[in-house]
Amino acid sequence: MALIPAQPSANPGVKKDMEAVAALDRDAELMLRVREGDDTSFALLLERHRGPVVHFLYRMVQNPSVSEELAQEVFLRVYRSRATYEPTAKFTTWLFRIATHLALNWVRDGKKEKGQESLDEQVVDGVDRQVRDRQPTIEQEMLREVKMTEVRQAIEALPAKQRAAVLMHKYEELEYAQIARALNCSESAVKSLLFRAYESLRSRLAHMAG
Amino acid sequence: MNCPTKRNEDAEILLDYCAQTLSPVQMAEFENHVKQCADCSRLVEAQKEVWGALDAWTPAPVSINFDARLYARIAAEQSVPAWQLWLRRIFQPALPYPLWKSAVPLIAACALLAVGLTVRTPEVTHTVQPQLRADKVDIEQVEQALEDFDILTPPAQAPSGSM
Repeated sequence: MALIPAQPSANPGVKKDMEAVAALDRDAELMLRVREGDDTSFALLLERHRGPVVHFLYRMVQNPSVSEELAQEVFLRVYRSRATYEPTAKFTTWLFRIATHLALNWVRDGKKEKGQESLDEQVVDGVDRQVRDRQPTIEQEMLREVKMTEVRQAIEALPAKQRAAVLMHKYEELEYAQIARALNCSESAVKSLLFRAYESLRSRLAHMAG
Repeated sequence: MNCPTKRNEDAEILLDYCAQTLSPVQMAEFENHVKQCADCSRLVEAQKEVWGALDAWTPAPVSINFDARLYARIAAEQSVPAWQLWLRRIFQPALPYPLWKSAVPLIAACALLAVGLTVRTPEVTHTVQPQLRADKVDIEQVEQALEDFDILTPPAQAPSGSM
């Protein structure tokens, strides 16, 4: 995706911040421009991270409409906090910290029963799309659906923190330090969470080889 | 190298191997170890299977009006009075305040103190000391007791000159 070229800022404070984040990441730089009032940069950030955030939340809460609702809240909070944003860490760390916080709260509050129907609807939709795209046989499709259900159930059976750690590690490819900050714990705690989570998944999913 | 199945500290190498985030040197070293270690070999196979199963889970696509809905919410926020936005920033921050956990015991202590100061302490009830009442004492009984004492007391020895 094309990014907007770096524009020199007239504000010396921002200039200093820009230099500080030069080594950090491009996203933090975009966010500093959002802080300056540049809405185009916010659109770029949204474009870059909309998919990963929605998908992470979808796998956390396993409900498409809820995951989008939570993702909207994540970006809304990012936008709301633009004035006080400080690039102290990678932008994705901050973003996933907000997303994880909202998802864990949602799971903790026991709201997941609400959306079970819409998850099932989405699965049916997914099957329809697959049939149109690749034309698999009915047997293949049924087998795929059984496997998907097992994966979803195995992930759902994990404790919420382990689930978040696995999803950030496996799908978002975040570093241990980033996951630790997102979950507000130490790196060694993250490694321990991941090891236990993968151990559970190995016992539940190992038979799905091939 | 240390076997990841023997020491928890080394277990991350297995995760990094499956995530392909090891350096080429570490990768080669670990692969050599796996060839010689049956436990690690089994673990790597099982982990790869899990990895493959997770790869198969494709999420639902993001709805096409996601951005439009978000911008509508942002626009709605901008029409809200500034004081309400400030309240939202305070009570609905992007992330929870990091110090709230340490503030809880302090708030609890203050609340207890306030309750202690405001609740009226119960009046102290004076216990009445039992008093001996002379009119209830049986004089005859006392005399009898004194006589009994006299009987029990050994008689005083007679002076030696009298014998």
